[in-house]
Amino acid sequence: MIIDVNAYLGHFAFRRLRHNTAAALLALMDSRNIDKAVVSSASSITYRNAQAGNEEVAAEVRVHRDRLIPFAVINPFYAGWQDDLKICHEQFGMAGLRLYPKWHNYQLSSKCCKELVDAATERGMVISIPIRVEDNRQRSWLLNVPDVPLEEIVELVKTHPKARFILLNGIGYTRSPLGRKDNGLPSNYAIELSRLSAVLANELGQLITNLGAERVMFGTGMPFKYPDPALVKLEVLDTSEPEKEKIRSQNAMTWLRL
Amino acid sequence: MTIAQTTQSSPEHRPHVSRRSLLKGSAAAVVASALISARTAAGEQSIPGASSDPFGKGKVIDCHAHLNHRSRSTWEADDRKLIEAADKLGIDQLCCSILTPHRPATAEGFRQCNQWTADGMRRFPGRVLGYCYVNPGYGREALEEIHRCIEDRGFIGIKLYNEYTCTEPVVFPIVELAIELGVPILHHASHSHYFVEDQPRMSDGGHLAELAHRYPEAMLICAHISGGGDWEWTIKALRHAPNVLLDTSGSVTDDGSVDMAAAVVGVDRLVFGCDSSMTAGVGKIRGANLSTQDKEKILGENMMKLLRRRKL
Repeated sequence: MIIDVNAYLGHFAFRRLRHNTAAALLALMDSRNIDKAVVSSASSITYRNAQAGNEEVAAEVRVHRDRLIPFAVINPFYAGWQDDLKICHEQFGMAGLRLYPKWHNYQLSSKCCKELVDAATERGMVISIPIRVEDNRQRSWLLNVPDVPLEEIVELVKTHPKARFILLNGIGYTRSPLGRKDNGLPSNYAIELSRLSAVLANELGQLITNLGAERVMFGTGMPFKYPDPALVKLEVLDTSEPEKEKIRSQNAMTWLRL
Repeated sequence: MTIAQTTQSSPEHRPHVSRRSLLKGSAAAVVASALISARTAAGEQSIPGASSDPFGKGKVIDCHAHLNHRSRSTWEADDRKLIEAADKLGIDQLCCSILTPHRPATAEGFRQCNQWTADGMRRFPGRVLGYCYVNPGYGREALEEIHRCIEDRGFIGIKLYNEYTCTEPVVFPIVELAIELGVPILHHASHSHYFVEDQPRMSDGGHLAELAHRYPEAMLICAHISGGGDWEWTIKALRHAPNVLLDTSGSVTDDGSVDMAAAVVGVDRLVFGCDSSMTAGVGKIRGANLSTQDKEKILGENMMKLLRRRKL
């Protein structure tokens, strides 16, 4: 089984996405033998009211809950986020969050964000953070959104030891405490592999050595990205089949209680 | 050529990603991953240096690769890792240059890089093909270095970086020599919607299109359309420049990028590359919604066609 913890539905403001409806994404997943995917709203990245995107995703996945696992995009500085969180969790059955601190212009260390993380943790929700949405060099002339610095993630995981985080679309973990062995950090975060190198520097292999295969998860970034590069990484990864199985699906199943 | 065409490979060099899976797509790869790889069956020699045609049919050629500068303490091991990665991914040949760590390169600097590239071609015979890297600002010295590398050392092309925008007159003698020798120029390029301060003379697809119109006989390769700039802009800028090929390399794996390039400029103008982003490079081609025949062209045939136009 393959579970993708890094997938999206809806439109992105700066580029046309293909395969961005539930039906189209499922067809793409079928063509790549991907069984399940965690999805959130791509539109909510730039909607002011992110909840509108959550509603769209909830409607899209309603009849596909066996394969599409919805996550909510919540901006803790936007009015009514507590109501949105409650609705997303209790009515839409969303099992986790996606946070965009740079796109939504807030600090992970802010009081509001702390309240959101605590509230989501209280509900048993997983919190995923895309380190980037797209390569900054191809950004629109309208904006300049930096990647989330890994130092800020370090502080976040330290401050919230009971929360569970999945870090998406990142690289350079091995140059940060996050990817080092015996780093003194709580083991409350997992790292998704879509941008990690699997040959040459082989950051993927290093993370498995340093943190254990239990802390690495499969993800593609589709439909922003082709799913195939992530699948190729799994193919060339020099590790045991049981460890690959953890990365392919078991870790996600454990974290998402599937 | 068929997708089942085989090449010989020792067990330790058995690719994890077979040619068949590279061409068919990931679903096929998952199903076929436990099956015999196309390269393991006895057949055609995979080392092109041992073949009468060094750019023989059926090869997967990475048109944009780099060996390591020797100021890097691990250069030798890192060069070996590049070949090992190519082995794992089913890449037969890598068109390599070495760049100076700091630019603009001095004449001494680029000559040293090319000497090391020539050494790399000897260390990995048939696997590494060399690009001659020069800084056009060195005029006669740059031209002499190109003559030496192409004519005496068997390099396959010229690599230009960001010392000058490719439309500046100082670049023209390099292009004219490339035409005379019948070799391609791989030109660093990117287009961002802001001024890139550390690369003030960066070329983009528009500059390359302009250069191509000035020199319609030139064989130009626009580097890494997925190298971080706005790839949609780059592809559109090159639509009407038939003598510019687009290199698919770069770390960006945006869905639809290869497909759009194929739709706008045609598959005959796309050449596969990685630029050290190895799984990204292979995965994008695998993921593109193109026929096997079209992928064959991108993976090697188009580059082979270019390399066969050499006049020496």
